[in-house]
Amino acid sequence: MMTKEIINDILNKVVNSTKADQVEAVILGGDSYLTGFANNYIHRNVGESNYALSVRVAVGKKIGSASVSEFSPDAIKAVVEHAEQIVKFQKENRNFESFAKPEEETREIPETGGKKVSPNLRAEYAKRIIDEAKKFGLIASGMFQTDTTQIAVKNSLGVSRFFEFATATLKSVVMGNNSSGYSVQTAFDVKDINVDKIIEESIGVADRGRNPESIEPGKYEVILTPYALAEFIGHMSYLSLNERAVEDGTSFVAESFGKKVLGDNINLYDDGFSPKTIPLPFDFEGVPKKRVVFFEKGVAKDVVYDTLYAYKNGRASTGHSLPQPSSFSPYPMNIVMEGENSSKDEMINHVERGLYVQRFWYTNPMDPKHLLITGMTRDGLFLIENGKIVKPVKNMRFTESIITALNNCLELSKEYKTMYEMSSMTVPYARIKDFTFTSGTEF
Amino acid sequence: MQKIIESALLKAKREGASYADVRVIEREEEDISVKNGAVEGIKSTSTKGFGVRVIKDGGWGFSSSFVFTEDEAERVAGESVEIAMASSKTKIHDATIANIEVFQDKVPQPVKINPFSVTLSKKIETLLEADKLMSKQGIVVRRGSMHFSKEWKTFASSEGAYIDQERVVAGAGISVISSDGTDIQTRSYPSSFGGDYARKGYELVDEINLPENADRISSEALALLKAKPCPIGKMDIILEGSQLALQIHESVGHPTELDRVLGEEASFAGTSFLTPEKLNNFQFGSKDVNIVADATVPYALGGFAYDDEGVKAHKIYLVKEGQFIGYLNSRETSKMLNFMPMGAMRADGWNRIPIIRMTSINLEPGNKTLEELIGSVEHGILMATNKSWSIDQKRLNFQFGTEIGWEIVNGKLQDMVKNPSYSGIAYEFWRSLDGVGNESYYHVWGLPNCGKGEPRQVMQVSHGASYGRFRNVQVGVEK
Repeated sequence: MMTKEIINDILNKVVNSTKADQVEAVILGGDSYLTGFANNYIHRNVGESNYALSVRVAVGKKIGSASVSEFSPDAIKAVVEHAEQIVKFQKENRNFESFAKPEEETREIPETGGKKVSPNLRAEYAKRIIDEAKKFGLIASGMFQTDTTQIAVKNSLGVSRFFEFATATLKSVVMGNNSSGYSVQTAFDVKDINVDKIIEESIGVADRGRNPESIEPGKYEVILTPYALAEFIGHMSYLSLNERAVEDGTSFVAESFGKKVLGDNINLYDDGFSPKTIPLPFDFEGVPKKRVVFFEKGVAKDVVYDTLYAYKNGRASTGHSLPQPSSFSPYPMNIVMEGENSSKDEMINHVERGLYVQRFWYTNPMDPKHLLITGMTRDGLFLIENGKIVKPVKNMRFTESIITALNNCLELSKEYKTMYEMSSMTVPYARIKDFTFTSGTEF
Repeated sequence: MQKIIESALLKAKREGASYADVRVIEREEEDISVKNGAVEGIKSTSTKGFGVRVIKDGGWGFSSSFVFTEDEAERVAGESVEIAMASSKTKIHDATIANIEVFQDKVPQPVKINPFSVTLSKKIETLLEADKLMSKQGIVVRRGSMHFSKEWKTFASSEGAYIDQERVVAGAGISVISSDGTDIQTRSYPSSFGGDYARKGYELVDEINLPENADRISSEALALLKAKPCPIGKMDIILEGSQLALQIHESVGHPTELDRVLGEEASFAGTSFLTPEKLNNFQFGSKDVNIVADATVPYALGGFAYDDEGVKAHKIYLVKEGQFIGYLNSRETSKMLNFMPMGAMRADGWNRIPIIRMTSINLEPGNKTLEELIGSVEHGILMATNKSWSIDQKRLNFQFGTEIGWEIVNGKLQDMVKNPSYSGIAYEFWRSLDGVGNESYYHVWGLPNCGKGEPRQVMQVSHGASYGRFRNVQVGVEK
């Protein structure tokens, strides 16, 4: 790991080494270790230490960018010169006004805990899942990943930020002859990983899912776990909930701000400081994260901005830039969907005939503007009759609009899960009516 | 660099590793993107580092670093051994690898035009020229991009292998989104999601000729807004090469990866319906289905001289005359099942462990002209350019959407249709193939973004394809 002082020293060298109008330097990296297991043994066990220094320089409205993964004085000098060289060939970007301007951070930076985890500890967690799966005659796969990540941003306008955080993610995918189950948890500190709960959920679903039967595709009421619902919210976030998509005319909220477009119970926001997420207090331009409300009681409110889209619209960035340059920025990275008062079991009790969906897989948009998505169920699909799970069923393909589904949402749980893979999403269980399954498969 | 490699291999040996290899990679990349008449971003990236992979006590370990000192090489090798020993705590059998011929070689990749010698101005002008030609009333987003990379990779092993390889890659593409306020439609050239890629220099950009195709895709995107919806039901379809390439990728390439088949990717990517008992014993497709894994194809994005285990590039059949006869494998998985290592292990950088990846997976061309393929279709759709894709984790149930289609009635191409899609079960679909376009339509499409593995890796692969005609396929989604 690099120290904060070394990182600051590198950033200072960059910012002080150019005569460009503006300069921005970003360091993103850290140490990452992953213990992967499959077929009831550890088959992949890897570690890396990796950083990237990204430099942007601006001369007028021309911007050049370069990045490097080594940090010798010569390499740092070369990457700045390369960015300056690019500027000379660059065309003006009429939308560019400035890199991020300094602003005071008024919210408290979250505690992020976490210490380096030994390969032996990762192996012990894997072994606990494997040993338990064997007792049920099941085969365990999964991974235990422990990362320490550092993000630092400095620019010539006075922005200077540093954040270090640790994450631990334990995932279990357990398979039988004709069933499978899934569970995953991410926490700041490995001591907060509840391996018993992960074992109980993944093995429980795989055990109850043995010998699934085929049922006819069609419209079903569904209980979506947070894993499944997060797939929908993830697609919505990059396809719709950012100013880039709004300006492109590809977002369904583009003409609907202030209008009710989703169900009364849909409250969705992004908040990099929320303890419900894996917090990230500033973005990759160094702008503090603002709380952005996307939907309040189903009414479209706002979307996220980076400096490019904010300044040209005469407003402040909401702190949602990805590492620049990026065709996908701005992007929400700490989404929270508020739940209601039900429990998962109560929601199942309320279903007369429907399906319990553990997880969706390989979801992709067929019609991005109307958020028509297709994908498969995976790792657990169960028929519910008269308020009880009665039997496992074979996986099916769904083809459904997220907009329609979130207008048909009957109930949300107070329980939620947080999924994390670079960005974080915290969502509850959902009960949704008239959900469309369009075909089946052989398992 | 020699000393880094020697230090790492020596340390691994001293720590008791039964096998070790080192990969040193130095890579430069340049990405240029324009959007709506402005340069969205130009980024130059360089990365350099090394990774050490070992077997110790029958377990695998891997670690990597960007710090090029002998001390760091020893630290990384030591950490790899420590990780391998932790792996061995759960082992069921000792990790072993098949014997191979050990090579010392140096393989440069000559290109006609070094892409890094072409000025940024020329690259930007080409993209902006295409952008201008795409500009029309009703076109809301115009995009263009180019990507160039060059890489030197050194592979050395405790068995005595020492291989240097150069890799130069170019890619380019344009796309538009049209909108009438309610509907949006997309058209791309030469393919969607970034265009086409190959192991070539800047000559690829000249060959693709983005400006020449800019006006056409723009007009097609506008026409699609007014086109009738694609009909729904069982009918024949003809897939154009770039869509057929993705069909090959998802329903042939992935299910023949032996690590998936053996459950090693179950945690993320999934498994496969092509289980070992089906090898040489399963009708995967019709007799027209001849599919090879061929890393020796010149210029193919999925090609190379040696894989990341030092195995020389091979061409093997995965499917021959419809019979399933081959897997993509590694030295470890080939030893498990007593196969010949065919060289499919690759990592996407110095900080990643090699896993089984597609090389160039190609459907061999047939003998039909496009007119002949269309001529015997009573009612069907010609579909082109991928828009969406989805397939189950065993690679059986798939659903693809394309940007554009044309209805075929009584052997004649008719009106343009919008939002075409088709679905099916992989082997049933390939069994319905009854005509493949001839060599004149054949092209090896480069796909730069195949995701797999934990930690996640993005690999460059390719797929040769012509036109393919499939009978009685589900088109569209039944309500």
